[in-house]
Amino acid sequence: MLSSRLIGRSAVRSCFQKSTMPTLVGALPSRRTYATEAEQKDLVIVGGGVAGYVAAIKGAQEGLKVTCIEKRGTLGGTCLNVGCIPSKSLLNNSHLYHQILHDTKQRGIEVGDVKLNLGQLMKAKDTSVAGLTKGVEFLFKKNGVEYLKGTGAFQDEHTIKVQLNDGGETTVAGKNIIIATGSEATPFPGLEIDEKRVVSSTGAIALEKVPETLTVIGGGIIGLEMASVWSRLGSKVTVVEYLDAIGGPGMDAEIAKATQKILKKQGLIFKTQTKVISGDVSGDKVKLNIDSAKGGKEETIESDVVLVAIGRRPFTGGLGLEEVGVELDERGRVIIDQEYRTKIPHIRCIGDVTFGPMLAHKAEEEAVAVVEYIKKGYGHVNYGCIPSVMYTFPEVAWVGQSEQDLKKAGVKYRVGSFPFSANSRAKTNLDTEGMVKMLADPETDRLLGVHIIGPNAGEMIAEGTLALEYGASSEDIARTCHAHPTLAEAFKEAAMATYSKPIHM
Amino acid sequence: MASFATASRLSARLVRRTLPRDAAFRGFRTSAAALAAQNFTMPALSPTMTEGNIAAWHVKEGEKFAAGDVLLEIETDKATMDVEAQEDGILMKIMQGDGSKQIQVGERIAVIAEEGDDVSTLEIPPDSESKKPAAGKEAAKPESTSSPNPETQPDSPAPATAKESTKAKAKAAKQTRPLLPSVSHLLHENGLDESAVADMTPTGPNNRLLKGDVLAYLGKVKATVPASLSERFDHQSHLDLTNIKVSIAEPKGAKIPEKTEKSQAPVQEDAVIALPISLEAVIGVQQKVSQTLGTFLPLSTFIARATELANDELPLPAGAKPTADDLFNQVLGLDKVTNSSRGRYLPQVSAIPPASLLGPRPARRQTDIIDILAAPTKKASAPKPRSQLAPGTSTGVNVFSLTVPKPEEKRARVFLERVKLVLENDPGRLVL
Repeated sequence: MLSSRLIGRSAVRSCFQKSTMPTLVGALPSRRTYATEAEQKDLVIVGGGVAGYVAAIKGAQEGLKVTCIEKRGTLGGTCLNVGCIPSKSLLNNSHLYHQILHDTKQRGIEVGDVKLNLGQLMKAKDTSVAGLTKGVEFLFKKNGVEYLKGTGAFQDEHTIKVQLNDGGETTVAGKNIIIATGSEATPFPGLEIDEKRVVSSTGAIALEKVPETLTVIGGGIIGLEMASVWSRLGSKVTVVEYLDAIGGPGMDAEIAKATQKILKKQGLIFKTQTKVISGDVSGDKVKLNIDSAKGGKEETIESDVVLVAIGRRPFTGGLGLEEVGVELDERGRVIIDQEYRTKIPHIRCIGDVTFGPMLAHKAEEEAVAVVEYIKKGYGHVNYGCIPSVMYTFPEVAWVGQSEQDLKKAGVKYRVGSFPFSANSRAKTNLDTEGMVKMLADPETDRLLGVHIIGPNAGEMIAEGTLALEYGASSEDIARTCHAHPTLAEAFKEAAMATYSKPIHM
Repeated sequence: MASFATASRLSARLVRRTLPRDAAFRGFRTSAAALAAQNFTMPALSPTMTEGNIAAWHVKEGEKFAAGDVLLEIETDKATMDVEAQEDGILMKIMQGDGSKQIQVGERIAVIAEEGDDVSTLEIPPDSESKKPAAGKEAAKPESTSSPNPETQPDSPAPATAKESTKAKAKAAKQTRPLLPSVSHLLHENGLDESAVADMTPTGPNNRLLKGDVLAYLGKVKATVPASLSERFDHQSHLDLTNIKVSIAEPKGAKIPEKTEKSQAPVQEDAVIALPISLEAVIGVQQKVSQTLGTFLPLSTFIARATELANDELPLPAGAKPTADDLFNQVLGLDKVTNSSRGRYLPQVSAIPPASLLGPRPARRQTDIIDILAAPTKKASAPKPRSQLAPGTSTGVNVFSLTVPKPEEKRARVFLERVKLVLENDPGRLVL
């Protein structure tokens, strides 16, 4: 009887919906999403990148009323739209292509005509990106985060004026405000980025055809990843790096050297200790005048496309920080304290736009911590334990301190390493380049740093991060069972090498 | 270990039920023999600290405190630091009051009791021996072990250091988690009971007992090593916010937008776009409305509505750089969205005698019809037959002009042409 009653009612409701709902829905949505000045949100976040969107979701989960402002039109910021995610798609697929072209034959797989369809390659990338950014938008809906598509600027300490992308303007007021506006590629002085011939990482993931020659200014992680992609697809790639080692700060010197050797074998041309003096885009090809870092060896390189990958800088343009008196440091970073507060306590700042490494996962950690500070008064990010990964092939990953860091700090350490060439799984995969290297305190054996170059290093570093976070010694890792045959066994053996001796070497 | 801890907690509870308060109960605590109250000693707040001054006690004698409460402030040569309680308890007696100077690390500064203890009946433990169970809970900071005699030789024989560490060491926090594999291995290897853990000083994250701590306990490494290592880890776990060079607040803050402006600087030249538009049709409609409905509609209403209409979906400025968004949208095939955007133009209107159209470019008049017309709007609604023409306009041709950055020239022209179209051809629709 009960059920029959239920059916009856829902039938009535569906009738009702059919007749009246469409008009209602048609009239409402345009107004609905805009916050009116009357209501004050608990938390307003400027920027829907990794820092911003994670803080928004976390905030909503903690019961705060949250508005997130993003001008790009899609959520996820640099990482999801023009950074980590699309580049990983290209790296993975270009690796497959390269492998079919050069490697599968020796494994007993002969493929006929191998053709590159760059359009399809890009489409695959876009599908991944679109799926993920939509996914974030869905999470906003799910958690009840208000999402404003537009450009935010401070009107006063509590109010953000939003220039909406669809036209019009609105304001949002918040008890707490988080600045999470991220970063942008640092331009090279004298070379204007047109994203066609002189590109930043944004243009480098969207080239319309494979350039015959590509010059990369900057041998850091972004530069080397993009260099790898286009080199695999057929470009002749030259990497110009001012310092004497590639990989950027943080990468262990020994690992950096090994990486350079492997990448050189793959066809990349390295010009380290070389500076770019000037560029000329007037001709058919882009000309770069380069010179040895010490001077005296000037030459010119011509290429179809130049990638400027000399780093990223905080982005606060148009945010109106001067309006409220939020301070920046000399490099444009928003100045904060340990609880991410700016000079104005209820305005906090996280992610690339402030201090610390410009990494998505660091931003994500900060986003959770900052919401916890707001809601519970305490949060924590362990900055000594943030992993870095470079997704070349083989991958390079590290966490904790490098050998040169420790030397510089005058700290004693013990090194243990294990090559993948002695690892059974790597052997069966025929991918035996690289090694795992561990640094530990010589007396207490406490782990100080882990550095890996090798297949799947990016996944394997998670174990090192966990160990470091828990204060483990290398013996603790060595006494933990690792499945056989796996690449992770190399990790265990390196730990054994650190505190006593490896078995398989 | 976990099971051991649970077991002792369980039995403690049992004992408590049968014997109201007894040594037996406390005997199960990890702190070796806290029979009555405990001495609270000067904690070492940094590895190098050997002595300090007491700035002020924040808890009075006989008062209760909870874990996390600030008990007192200690001054060292470097800084003033708060000492927080690690567990709940009662401050039984203060031995070194506010302002006491140069107290050695490890010296007794107060006596504390457990929560629920009857302070009046508790005995104050003797000072000298107190070091054994001792060193108040707050001194759980491992550094305290280092302090009094840091000259301990690096290769001092094991038993000696071991003795020292059991004697002067802070109370080990109860290890409730599974021991690390290296730790339990070392325990077994050295024939140690798990209860020995209680005498060790954990230096790991969240008071975790690390391999190094066992080695220190065994005297295999210097007792201070694990703690100073932890210190370094702790330091690294925070963002380095020292030595920040503030960009001189105002100028630099302004510099960043300035920079972007500079890069656009060559583009910043303005273009003046002017278009003569006849208002005849508008005035015709205006008169018609005023005759038929008796309401006077100012010209400004017509112009404002035409502006509103014309601003819709204007083509993007010519040299508009593709932003990262645009590029990405192109990649996604969403570029149709960005072909146009809503303008925010407001034309300047000035009347000219028709003849001057042939002459040199008309000088823009200072008077702005919008201002002139907007002000008297309300009064004007009274249908008094004012002169139908506001000063500055003519029934004939008016020049609508816009001053815009050069790259927006085309966009602005489209705007003006739309205004012209609406005003000259079909102004009636603006008021319907």
